[in-house]
Amino acid sequence: MPGDIGPGEALAPAWREYWMRGRSSAGFVIGLAVTALLVAVALVSLVWTPYQVDVMDIPVKLQAPSAAHWLGTDQFGRDVLSRLMAGAVNSIAVSLVAVGIGAGLGVPLGALAAARRGIIEEVVMRFNDFTFAFPALLSAVMITAILGPGAVNSIIAIGIFNIPVFARLTRGASLSLWQRDFVLAARVAGKGRTRITAEHILPNIASLLIVQMTIQFALAILAEAGLSYLGLGTQPPAPSWGKMLNEAQTLMYLAPQLAIFPGLAIMGTVLGLNLLGDGLRDLLDPRLRRLR
Amino acid sequence: MTLLSVRDLCVTLETPEGPAPILEDVGFDLAAGGSLGLVGESGCGKSMTALAVMGLLPERAVATGEIVFEGCNLLALPEGALCKLRGRRLAMVFQEPMTALNPVKTIGAQVAEGLRWHLGLGRGEAEARAVKLLDRVGVPRPRFAPGLYPHQLSGGQRQRVVIAMALACDPALLIADEPTTALDVTSQAAILDLLAEVAAEAGLALLLITHDLAVVWQNTRSMIVMYAGRVVERGGTHEVFARMAHPYSRGLFAASPGALDAVLPPGRRLAAIPGLVPDPLHRPAGCVFAGRCPRAAADCLPAQPAERRLAPGHAVACLHPHLEATPA
Amino acid sequence: MAVFLLQRLAAFIVTLLVASLVVFLVMEVLPGDPAALMLGVSARPDTLAALRSEMGLDLPAAQRYLLWLGGLVSGDLGTSYTYGVPVWELVRERIGLSLPLALIAICLSTLIAIPLGVLAAARHNKPADVGVMGFTQLGVAVPNFWFAILLILVFAVHWQVLPAGGFAGWDAGFWPALKTLLLPAVALALPQAAILARVTRSSVLETLGEDYVRTARAKGLTRRAALWRHALRNALIPVVTIMGLQFSFLLAGTIIIENVFYLPGLGRLIFQAIAQRDLIVVKDLVILLAASVVAVNFIVDLLYAVLDPRLRGGGHAG
Ligand SMILES: Nc1ncnc2c1ncn2[C@@H]1O[C@H](COP(=O)(O)OP(=O)(O)OP(=O)(O)O)[C@@H](O)[C@H]1O
Ligand code: SF4
Ligand SMILES: [Mg+2]
Repeated sequence: MPGDIGPGEALAPAWREYWMRGRSSAGFVIGLAVTALLVAVALVSLVWTPYQVDVMDIPVKLQAPSAAHWLGTDQFGRDVLSRLMAGAVNSIAVSLVAVGIGAGLGVPLGALAAARRGIIEEVVMRFNDFTFAFPALLSAVMITAILGPGAVNSIIAIGIFNIPVFARLTRGASLSLWQRDFVLAARVAGKGRTRITAEHILPNIASLLIVQMTIQFALAILAEAGLSYLGLGTQPPAPSWGKMLNEAQTLMYLAPQLAIFPGLAIMGTVLGLNLLGDGLRDLLDPRLRRLR
Repeated sequence: MTLLSVRDLCVTLETPEGPAPILEDVGFDLAAGGSLGLVGESGCGKSMTALAVMGLLPERAVATGEIVFEGCNLLALPEGALCKLRGRRLAMVFQEPMTALNPVKTIGAQVAEGLRWHLGLGRGEAEARAVKLLDRVGVPRPRFAPGLYPHQLSGGQRQRVVIAMALACDPALLIADEPTTALDVTSQAAILDLLAEVAAEAGLALLLITHDLAVVWQNTRSMIVMYAGRVVERGGTHEVFARMAHPYSRGLFAASPGALDAVLPPGRRLAAIPGLVPDPLHRPAGCVFAGRCPRAAADCLPAQPAERRLAPGHAVACLHPHLEATPA
Repeated sequence: MAVFLLQRLAAFIVTLLVASLVVFLVMEVLPGDPAALMLGVSARPDTLAALRSEMGLDLPAAQRYLLWLGGLVSGDLGTSYTYGVPVWELVRERIGLSLPLALIAICLSTLIAIPLGVLAAARHNKPADVGVMGFTQLGVAVPNFWFAILLILVFAVHWQVLPAGGFAGWDAGFWPALKTLLLPAVALALPQAAILARVTRSSVLETLGEDYVRTARAKGLTRRAALWRHALRNALIPVVTIMGLQFSFLLAGTIIIENVFYLPGLGRLIFQAIAQRDLIVVKDLVILLAASVVAVNFIVDLLYAVLDPRLRGGGHAG
């Protein structure tokens, strides 16, 4: 919800205070820990994984978890743990860039719609309504079909359907701010709309945007996994969680464990990000803060 | 005969900053068929007192003391027994008629609901009685069909429907919490007349909450003045108006706009009380009014002033009350 | 009310027109010549040209758009390039799978979510509430295709009580067909149920704080009676909105879930059509899906009027 945010409240966030209160919320702590763990694992995998990610070792294929291979091996004898670690990099990279595209284009569009109103707002909002009639995944499937499958194209596809989300949120939150006294005062003082947007509007909706980005990041992880599962995202042999699940499905009778770990990785990541987003919302949303 | 007797009522609300004492040692009596006015600034705990009597305090609130109604202590009653009393013997009219009615149910059904719930009437009979009630409170058929929805009525008409709901099961006590604050001036007078009329007609006791002193003057036989969760003055309405013994009461009377000109001659009114009500978490140890009181002295600060009887039935919680009559 | 309906209807048509234009333009960009695809790489140029003109591919884009649009309106969806049969027939075959699947999933998620949400709200901050919220957190985080795979692992591989995939067809009888749709429907319903339960919970919590609920309690209604008789119907208004919006996610879910279970439904059809550059099928299906999403939200608007008398019109009395 577009929060009712006063001036200065977000301009001078009391980070220390947030941190003190954040520590007392279990969901926030778990979310932060899981997210930090994920990022750490991804970073580690860039320099070290237990086995080489793409090296096949057919004699040890489809092994159950053991001391040598903690999470077992796949149909080519590749170490599942190593591939999961490398898959984290893939998921994070795709989602990060996709959400970046969505926010990078959506926020300016939404801010523009709120600042200019009139025809620009109409066009932006009608376009928004229209994208809501299309299932996001269907658009993504169409886009990857046009551009061809691959990680970069799935980034674009996911990024595109993030644009309206941010445009809508930014517009909604900014509109109420434009009516507030401190913005009116700035207008009376003769500041331009762009300057007011930069100095007063955006800083005040920053916390809202951060929360939404966390949530969209989680959705992007899910979308990337879905596209890869369908064979439209990251292409083999590059490891990706969705693709691993797709391969595991055909081996379900032989090695059911292969279908467990990538799913757990996706679920854990999304759960962690959602908890983090909810926790951040509780911390940053002044409206909720007052209710407590 | 005493219908309602409140003794040492304390209500504490759990807040993140700790328990906040909302009401402290509130006490009053109301005779069957009598009328009591409850006045005080916004936030002094008038609504909380009413909700405590109804047993509808917020979940985070804890109430201690005694609320004896028709011989039994409501605070000791289980929820199930309270439900049997609410709407049946005890009824309440709320401040906000615009939101007090369910927007998706017809007014007829909402008035009939209590009859069906408490008296077990069938739908037809309950609705027939509801039509009569609506007629009585001035929302008559055919202009106002019982099949109307609340959004099709004005604020004053809605408040009449709420009153009809409250009267439905012939309660012994009607609590009206600022029933006219949200209405325009003409509806205000009409609604108050209606309340006084129906109360007299049905012989029910009226607990009238308001911050309009003229309303108290015209509609109640006795009154209490509350400040920061405490009763500071109580007595017959005429006695209290004649004396205004507590410095806060005097301040309040002076702050009350035009309506009191009939009672208080112009030019003899005190200035509005400067300062703010102490918030429940930071109330002083001594007299709660000391910070704003023009008569405050050193002895007011160490402890709460005890209640002092000025005349039969007239008491004031102040060490230095005005003993002379209201300047006239 | 009539004005309201007409407005909605006009918006409905405009949205579909815009959608058709966008889809058409997007398909124009899509690489690959359908005629070449049909004839294969070794086709002679003159045969190719003949086929292109027979398929109308050599006409100007605007004309092709209008022809297609006219076809849509008159119920002629064209002929699939790859299957060589009218698109309408393909749709009819598969809608018998996809529509029941979607309906079962919606019913399941509603039946799970609304009671859970009401329960959580009624027991706010109590163990039941915490439990329901935990379930919804999990439900939102689980990728539905993984949940589907887990269902297959448990019910098809381990216990072997339900099939792992494929569709028996309604000709095989009601139960056998239903059995093949059960796991897919559950997989589709879970994330929807999680979201819906959360919305229901917060909506009921919000309405429980409304003045009219307090009025109902002042009448003597128990907490439970006030919730069922007064709060619930008001609380359902936003829930219905979310259900309408969810329909679009449900369709997206079908694309992936039908792939997991190898179900020959509309989702799989569109997925394959895109892969095979069967443009006419893609165009038609996307418009159909968009139309169904818009239509569902139209129905939601009507439901509003049923739930909320304020929208039914009828002015002030007296
Ligand atoms: N839900 C709540 N949470 C926290 N504090 C509350 C709540 N409800 C009431 N209070 C506090 O309890 C005190 C008494 O409130 P109450 O509503 O009884 O005042 P009132 O005398 O009825 O005022 P008004 O004339 O404005 O209706 C106030 O100080 C208020 O801040
Ligand atoms: S006790 Fe003292 S401070 Fe309190 S009202 Fe009386 S005179 Fe004023
Ligand atoms: Mg009040």
